[in-house]
Amino acid sequence: MSPPGTSTALPRVSLEHVVETPENVVLTYQLAGPAARMGAFFIDFVIRIAIFAAFTFLAVMTLGRFLPALTVAMGLVLYFALDWLYFAICEGFFRGKTPGKHMYGLRVVHAAGYPISLWEAVVRNFVRAMDNAPFILFLGSYGVCWLTMLTCGKFRRLGDMVAQTVVIEERRVKVPKEPIILEKIQPIPRNELGGWVPAPTTMALIEEFLGRRGVLNYVRGHSMAIGLARVLATRLDYKGPVSQVEEYPMAFLARVYATFYRVEDDVLNIADEVRGPKRGKAGRTVEVAT
Amino acid sequence: MNKRQFVAARKEDWQRFEKLLNRFDKVISKNLDSDQAADFSKLFRELCHDLSMVRSRGWGKGLSSYLNDLVSRGHNAFYRAPPARMSAIVWFLTVGFPQLFRRNIRYFVAASLLFFGPMAVTWGVIQHNPELARRVIPAEQLEQMQEMYPKVEESTGSSWKSSNAGSGERLIMAGFYTQHNVSIALDCFGRGILFGAGTAYTLIFNGIALGAVSGYLVGTGHHAKFLTFVVSHGSFELVAIAVAGGAGLMLGHALLHPGQRTRFESLWHRGLEAVQIAVGAGAMLLMAALIEAFWSPADVPDVLKVSVGALLWVFVVIYLSIAGRWERST
Repeated sequence: MSPPGTSTALPRVSLEHVVETPENVVLTYQLAGPAARMGAFFIDFVIRIAIFAAFTFLAVMTLGRFLPALTVAMGLVLYFALDWLYFAICEGFFRGKTPGKHMYGLRVVHAAGYPISLWEAVVRNFVRAMDNAPFILFLGSYGVCWLTMLTCGKFRRLGDMVAQTVVIEERRVKVPKEPIILEKIQPIPRNELGGWVPAPTTMALIEEFLGRRGVLNYVRGHSMAIGLARVLATRLDYKGPVSQVEEYPMAFLARVYATFYRVEDDVLNIADEVRGPKRGKAGRTVEVAT
Repeated sequence: MNKRQFVAARKEDWQRFEKLLNRFDKVISKNLDSDQAADFSKLFRELCHDLSMVRSRGWGKGLSSYLNDLVSRGHNAFYRAPPARMSAIVWFLTVGFPQLFRRNIRYFVAASLLFFGPMAVTWGVIQHNPELARRVIPAEQLEQMQEMYPKVEESTGSSWKSSNAGSGERLIMAGFYTQHNVSIALDCFGRGILFGAGTAYTLIFNGIALGAVSGYLVGTGHHAKFLTFVVSHGSFELVAIAVAGGAGLMLGHALLHPGQRTRFESLWHRGLEAVQIAVGAGAMLLMAALIEAFWSPADVPDVLKVSVGALLWVFVVIYLSIAGRWERST
C-alpha cells in the first residue's frame, strides 16, 4: 500500500515531489535541500536561545526577586518546552512552519500534499533526537539526519519517514509577463515564408526565452538563440536576408513569435470546435456542491 | 483560445484566488464566510482545470509553474487539518490514550519485562549484598542517597524534611522532574527507531540503575524513608516509563516486522499511534513530577503516605485498563 495521493512514477532521486490531488491534478512541489533546512534550523536555534535568554533576563529583574524558586522551576519547564516542544508546536499550529522555516520559505507538508496535523508535527520532532545522533558538543551533529537525507530520497530525515512528511520550498511565482510588445514588432511578410507553422510548444519556448532576455547579456543571448533561429529559418523556408537570422537571432525569434501567435490562435480554435463547444467565460461556471 | 486570450480572460480570477489565499498565510487566519468559501471552492476547481489545460497545450513552464504554485497553495488551504481544540486534549487523556494503550498492550508487556525484570533482579541481588551496588553506581552518589533518605533512628527533629522540602525547593524539583523525567521517556520512545535496540537499552539501563539504588537503600536499612517517599509517585512514574518504552518498541517492531508493507510505509503506519502513546506517557510523567515534588516529601504520617500511594497505584491500573472502554473506539 502506498500513501494516498503520492505517485511513484518519478525516480527516487528527484528534486520534485509529485502529488495527485483529488481534483485529478498532478502537482509538483519543490523539495527543500539540506542546506536551506540547516539554515532554518540555525535560525530556530538562535530564536530558542533568545527566548530563554529573554526569560532569564526578565525573570531575574522582576519575578526572581520575590519568588526565586518559582522562577527556577519555570525556567526548567521552559527549557524542556524549547527542547522538545518548540518545533512540534510551531509546525502543528502554524501549518508546517517554524519561524526559521518561514524565513527560508520552507514548509512541512504531508507526503500527499496537504498540511500536517498536530500529531504528525509531534512525531516528526520527537524522533529529532535520534536524527541528531551522534550527539557531540551542545548542538548535536545531525549525522543520522544527513545520512538518511542523502540516501533515502526526497531529503527525508527519520522523523519525516515516521510522520510521512516532506519539507518543501514554497515558490512565489508571478503571472508571467508578456515577453514582448507585439504591436511594435514587424511580423515576417507572408511571401518570405513557406507553409509550415510552428507548434505551440515551440511558441512557448520562444516566449519563455524572450521573457528571460533581461537576465542575459547581448552576446550570451544571441549565442543561445542562434541554434533555434537557424532551425526555424530552414523549417519556415525563410526567404528574407540571411543577416537577419545570423546577426540578430533574438530579433528573428521575436518576429517569428509576432507572426504566428495569431496563426496559432486559428489552429487551436479549429481544434476547439472539433473537440466540443468553445469554453467561454460563461461556460466556466461550475455548480457549487452543497 | 490563444494563450494570450486565455491569460487575459483568466487572470482576474487567478488574482482573486491569490487574494483569498493570502488570508490563510496570516498567523491568525480568519475563516472565510460562506460566500467566500463557495467562491474559493469554485475558483479552486477552475484553477485545477486551467492548470491541466496549460499543461496539455504546452503553453510553457512559466505559466504552468505559476498555476502549479497557486493550486498547491489552494490544496494546502482546502485540505487543511481541523483546528486543535481544548476538548480534544481532555478527550485524548480520558479516552484516546487509554484505548490506544490497550490496543497495543503487547508492547507495554514487553517493555515492562525489559524494565521491571532487570530492576527486580538487581534490587534482589543488591539488597542481599549491598556492596555490589558500587559496581553499578558511583560511591559518592550512593552516599548522597543515604543522606537523602536517613534511617529512622538517625532522623532527629530537624530531619531531612525541613532542610529538603521547603516550598521553594519543591517548586524547583517539580521543574526539574518535569524536564528530566519527561525527556527520558521521550528519548526512550525516539530511540525505538534503532530497530527497538535503543529503547531496550534505555529500559534495561534505567531498570538496573533504579534497582541498584533501591536495593542498596533497603539493604542498608534506609528503607523506611525511601519506600514511603517513592511509593506515591512511583505509580505514575515507573508505569509511564514502561508505557513510553512500549511506544518505542512499536517503532522498532514496525521496522523489524513490516509485514506486507515496505519498512518505511510500516514505520509511518504505526508511528502515529506510537507517538500518541508516548505523549500519553509524557502526561503521566508530568503528573508524577507534581506528586514527587509536592506530595512525596510532605510531612505526614507514613501510614497516610503508604495508603495514598496504594490508592494511586490502583488509580493508574484502573485508568489504563478501564478509562474510555465504553466510548466508541477511534
